[in-house]
Amino acid sequence: MVNLPATPADLIPFLFAVITSHTFIQIILFPGFIHVTLVTAFLTWYERKIIARIQLRIGPLYAGGPGGILQPIADGVKLIFKEVMIPYKADKPLFLAIPLALVVMAALPFAVIPFGQNWVIANLDVGLVFVFAMISLFPLMILIFAWASNSKYPFLGGLRSLFQQVAYEIPMWISALSIVMLAGSLSLVDIVNAQARIWFIIPAFLSFIVFFISVMAELERLPFDLPTAEPELVAGWFTESSGAIFMLQFLALYMKMYLMSSLVTVLFLGGWWGPAFLPQPVWFIIKTLIVATFIIIPRAVFARIRVDMLIRIGWTRLLIVALVNVFLTVLLITSGLTAILGM
Amino acid sequence: MALNPWLTVIIWAIVVIALTGPMLTLPMFWSRRKPDPFRDMPFESGQVPQGEARHRLVMQYYPYLLMFVAFDVVGMFLFAWGMSFTKIPLYASFPVLLFLFLLAAPLGYALHLALRRENW
Repeated sequence: MVNLPATPADLIPFLFAVITSHTFIQIILFPGFIHVTLVTAFLTWYERKIIARIQLRIGPLYAGGPGGILQPIADGVKLIFKEVMIPYKADKPLFLAIPLALVVMAALPFAVIPFGQNWVIANLDVGLVFVFAMISLFPLMILIFAWASNSKYPFLGGLRSLFQQVAYEIPMWISALSIVMLAGSLSLVDIVNAQARIWFIIPAFLSFIVFFISVMAELERLPFDLPTAEPELVAGWFTESSGAIFMLQFLALYMKMYLMSSLVTVLFLGGWWGPAFLPQPVWFIIKTLIVATFIIIPRAVFARIRVDMLIRIGWTRLLIVALVNVFLTVLLITSGLTAILGM
Repeated sequence: MALNPWLTVIIWAIVVIALTGPMLTLPMFWSRRKPDPFRDMPFESGQVPQGEARHRLVMQYYPYLLMFVAFDVVGMFLFAWGMSFTKIPLYASFPVLLFLFLLAAPLGYALHLALRRENW
């Protein structure tokens, strides 16, 4: 263990020990920053490409590589060199700081997501609660940003975002509760280890459905994209953002999408487990991208639903299904079926 | 060499801030910044903005928000129970299950109130 520096003189050896540690290399390279941003950039291209295929278009094509795969880099360069416009009477410090906070909040939970047996930055024993805590800060940040931009459309979008994410947080937690009961732990590494024989999607299928729908709502994807509904609110809560601010928000949203897909993989699809001919992280990323595909496809297929319908579905249908599922899990464990299934 | 997991999370946060912060601060140096009263107006479908943007709104769906306050706490306690469900004897779980079962009555009443049209 590396101890915290007691005196200022210990600071230099402490920093040296941190930077040369195996964990720091992980933080920078694989489960860490470079991997997360690269996959996030890939997801933006992937979404445009998939939706183009569904709508019989071609999608991004000209930005180099096969199928315009360098499009995210072109977009990033374009946005970095654009002017940052700050609306009249906006709260400038909040307006500039919240996009950065969104990125940090979307990136922090990746510290506890296990990409393989040893490919995890920090194996917290309360990993799942940590992830949920970070996710539930999102609506608050969005509302603060919406208020700070001093415009009507962002404000309405921020309020809608608050309602929607609040309505779908409780079903999400309670559907994850049955996973916690089956695994007997809150550490994500332990949860994946408990799925070595059988994935939790089989004993907790109802919970998977509730969790997946709640993830779609938390991510504000269609059919739940009311906070950014284009026909009513121009671009929802990021109407006033431009240039670098828009880029950071976009990055945070897609990072959150990658985070939620990997959370579904960890909780239900057996995490890194798979046949041994591929390394564990590869299995994890393959499963995560499949989940992300199923999150993306409804955007091209479904229509948007109304606000009252959205909130009513979350509170009546999903919450009750999640609570029933808790009782089913209790029955499953006490009847000894889980022991027969080898969990 | 192993680090304390919470310390690692803090280092990860510092790394993320240090690497994404420049994306926000660097464009301030090279991007063109010409204040223009018309361009800095909040977007309102191309019209001149009317009134205050941060005005008071009718608080719709507030029964749902009240339910959130209750279920938030319930959810957190349930996590503490669910984690130790397989480790404690079954009769220790009966009060929690009874509580969850009884929760159906206030939940039903709250939904009845929330679904009434005059509360929208």
